[in-house]
Amino acid sequence: MPIVPVPKPTFADKLKRFFMVDLLKGMRITLAYNIGALTDKDAVAGKGIYTEQYPKVRPDVAPRFHGAPRLNMDPETHDTLCIACNLCALACPEDCIDVIPMDVEVVVAGKARRKKVLDEFIFDTSRCMFCALCQEACPTYCLELTQDFELATYSRAGFVWNREMLEQGRETVKYTS
Amino acid sequence: MHQVEIATTRESLLDAPEMTLNMGPQHPSTHGVLRVILKLDGETVMDLDCDIGYLHRGMEKIAENRMYTMIAPYWDRLDYIAAVSNGLVWVETVEQMMGLDVPPRAHYLRTILTELNRIASHLLWLGTHALDIGAITILLWAFREREEILKIFERQFGARLTCHAWRVGGMPNDAYDEFESDVRQFINNFPKRIDEYETVLSENRIWLSRTVGIGVISGEDAIALGLSGPALRGSGVAWDIRKSRPYAAYGEMDFEIPLGENGDTYDRYLVRMEELRQSRRIIQQAIDNLPDGPVNAKVPKLIKPPVGDYYHSIEGPKGEIGCYLVSDGTQQPWRVRVRPPCFINLQSLRKLCIGHLVADVVAIIGTLDIVLGEIDR
Amino acid sequence: MLFALLAAPTLIDTLLLKFFSEQTVNYVIWPFIQIGLVTVITTGWVAYATYLERKISAFMQARLGPMRVGPWGLLQPIADGIKLLTKEDFIPENADRWIFFVAPYIAVVAAFVVMAVVPFGPDWAVITDVNIGVLFVLAVSSVGVLALILAGWSSNSKYALMGALRSSAQMVSYEVSMGMAIIGALMFARTLSLSGVVEAQASDSIWFFFYQPVGFVIFVISGIAENNRAPFDLPEAESELVAGFHTEYSGFRWSLFFMAEYAAMVVVTAVATTLYLGGWYFPFVYKLEVAGYHNLYVAVSVIVFLTKCGLLLYLYFWLRWTLPRFRYDQLMDLGWKWMLPAALINIVVTAIGVVVIQGLHNPTGMRTIKSLAGGLGLTLTGKAIAIAFGFGNLFITAGVLSLINWRSRDFNLKKQRHKIRLVDLPKGKPAVAPIAAASE
Repeated sequence: MPIVPVPKPTFADKLKRFFMVDLLKGMRITLAYNIGALTDKDAVAGKGIYTEQYPKVRPDVAPRFHGAPRLNMDPETHDTLCIACNLCALACPEDCIDVIPMDVEVVVAGKARRKKVLDEFIFDTSRCMFCALCQEACPTYCLELTQDFELATYSRAGFVWNREMLEQGRETVKYTS
Repeated sequence: MHQVEIATTRESLLDAPEMTLNMGPQHPSTHGVLRVILKLDGETVMDLDCDIGYLHRGMEKIAENRMYTMIAPYWDRLDYIAAVSNGLVWVETVEQMMGLDVPPRAHYLRTILTELNRIASHLLWLGTHALDIGAITILLWAFREREEILKIFERQFGARLTCHAWRVGGMPNDAYDEFESDVRQFINNFPKRIDEYETVLSENRIWLSRTVGIGVISGEDAIALGLSGPALRGSGVAWDIRKSRPYAAYGEMDFEIPLGENGDTYDRYLVRMEELRQSRRIIQQAIDNLPDGPVNAKVPKLIKPPVGDYYHSIEGPKGEIGCYLVSDGTQQPWRVRVRPPCFINLQSLRKLCIGHLVADVVAIIGTLDIVLGEIDR
Repeated sequence: MLFALLAAPTLIDTLLLKFFSEQTVNYVIWPFIQIGLVTVITTGWVAYATYLERKISAFMQARLGPMRVGPWGLLQPIADGIKLLTKEDFIPENADRWIFFVAPYIAVVAAFVVMAVVPFGPDWAVITDVNIGVLFVLAVSSVGVLALILAGWSSNSKYALMGALRSSAQMVSYEVSMGMAIIGALMFARTLSLSGVVEAQASDSIWFFFYQPVGFVIFVISGIAENNRAPFDLPEAESELVAGFHTEYSGFRWSLFFMAEYAAMVVVTAVATTLYLGGWYFPFVYKLEVAGYHNLYVAVSVIVFLTKCGLLLYLYFWLRWTLPRFRYDQLMDLGWKWMLPAALINIVVTAIGVVVIQGLHNPTGMRTIKSLAGGLGLTLTGKAIAIAFGFGNLFITAGVLSLINWRSRDFNLKKQRHKIRLVDLPKGKPAVAPIAAASE
């Protein structure tokens, strides 16, 4: 082991060493925390308790949080906003999205036309990285990552969400106690 | 070229059999899945071998089959503790290859968030290093500060850890409404916290006995082994990419580089603690002088860098993290190679540990600040 | 209600005397009741020491600790016990079965038996008052070391063996200085019986801590090392040897080792309180006895004793959660080169002090000794001299230890801390990709 030069201790240092001053200074801070845990309310800047007792206390999730996906619907007509453009599936690095369109007969300006609408939308949340590239790609603000983070299920198949689950959201059990 | 001398196994005098100890991939203090095989004579380490690859996910190969924008979320998973820096090196490489001009507001916000990311990474390093040496309380206090940073990241980017922070050309969203007040609150509280950690550790004789003179590497050996980051600066070598090849807004920031003297664990510890203070200083300057304007440059619809290769590196919290990109003009890169600082720093583990006791191996792994995600990719 | 509780002993006594002879009642039944009470109190204290450790460590770390099981998590030890009892009991393949079985039991027994001689209170609050109480305590707690070695050996695992060897070497080293440190207090008590020590302090109205500050500190530090607690817990440090000698134990057997560790902590705090902090003695509690409330006096004394033990236990937790741990060679260095010489110097200086006091005692002139009946009873002058020797010993010990350890590495803490330098490098030019520059 190479010997590293250390500065020479002074007499005061030797006394401090004997009376364990450095250890006591550290112990004083811990004692301050112990007392602060019982008396101080400020956890961020002070010495209070920082614990958030989840699931009794629901956490504050940011608005931009990349959580569970959702397909938004038009608030008045309750039609889906998705136009089956497939941009989200192309943007996804993990290939978790499958957009299945179908052709529908529509009358536009007196002429019968075929329009592509959404038939089924498969989203595999087990492969998803929650990178939000799909949310950015969507031109109609239909696909959105919400603030729901409790996505656990009991089976692998439960991770693959279809259009209905994406539109209505999943009923998760919220633990409150 | 400077030859690095590594002590080889010596014949033990009494010819006692040496014990091979396996600090296996599942071990509380090999930060991640690192396997270290130690050859011990009693308690002294005679030889050491690292076995890595338990976390290999084939990231560089995956990158060959994805478009440039899609690769960025994978890059967060490299050094998953400091994901924002990884994202930054990727995005800057692509931007510089394409010659895009990122607006100054984006540069400043990148600086602020990357420095917050550096503080978060150093806090985790501090917590786990202190935990391995026995001071368990520091871990919890450091994580409280880190939690504040992760809250800022969550509000800004949408994710706490693997943020997917940057896009080619700038940022996806401007700073959220309370960004400035949140950041200011954090940097106002932070110096007091650093002082608390330093009071418990820096003058503590037990801490000094465990870290002074342990894992010594000289400046020349450090350069010869390719170390970078705080490991290099702890040995006295003045090299910081934020100063020598400034990126983002570092060219306009006023900060200093801490340099160690002996290259032991204690010096690296002091260097990182001082870097926490300097990072805070950088954030203070950046948030005081934050310019207005757009946060995104004009980027073509399809990102296709011109044919050729380019290497760009930034000063990540663990060292120089670089990206060597070979483009063939299509939407997917031909080859991407990451210069992982932790992998290169880990190569010095053998030199650092031989001659020390088993208890020191843990301290040395901690001081190199390794993250297996980056080592194994 | 309180008076009913306090009158209970007399009532039970009269009841028992109806059925058994007096000898049986006094020598068989009452001891069993006392043993039962002490076992219940000790086991409860040990279980709630684990709860207190979790809560106190949590508060020190700005978090909450156990909160779910019961109000404020108070039923946590019971939940832990049930969990450990219902775990799978497995024994490693090539382990030595019988020794593997027996080792935890030896550890627990060695820790609990010591509580038989510890004086919780004055009259009936001590199970038995052995003449050689201190010797008994030291001997029985040494048996705990045996349990460690057996556990490490029989586990048939490299980690466990290394941990056991280190642990046992550490415990043996610190037992030496523990024993030596006690001698100083015994010079004032003039008896080896633990109740006698407390009575010496009570009759002299002083705690031996004031006569023996160095002895107290050495005893506490050696006690902490004896118990393998931080900052001396390298043998069971998680970050290295996983769990040391009890790596291969799980379920109930592990919980026995855990209980043995905490019981040993309780023992060390109890002995330290008895020898140095006055045991169950507290200045004005005797007035209760004088006023005639004998049972209340005993009960309050027990509470005083347990409070002092509690304060020392808090010191244990405080040290564990603040300080990093020593490396093994530093630990042994501390035990042999710092604690042992300090203890020996303590004996020498205390002996000189006592001789000086006895020498200065002149029945007609300066009176330093009050009585030699129970312990060394001193007058105010005598006490002053003893306290002066005690605190002067601090400086003598500091000097001699520095001399002995002149070659050990000592740090100039302030300078060491500030020795990194800050430099401002000249700013370079930002990176520009050659391709992009070329294509412009």
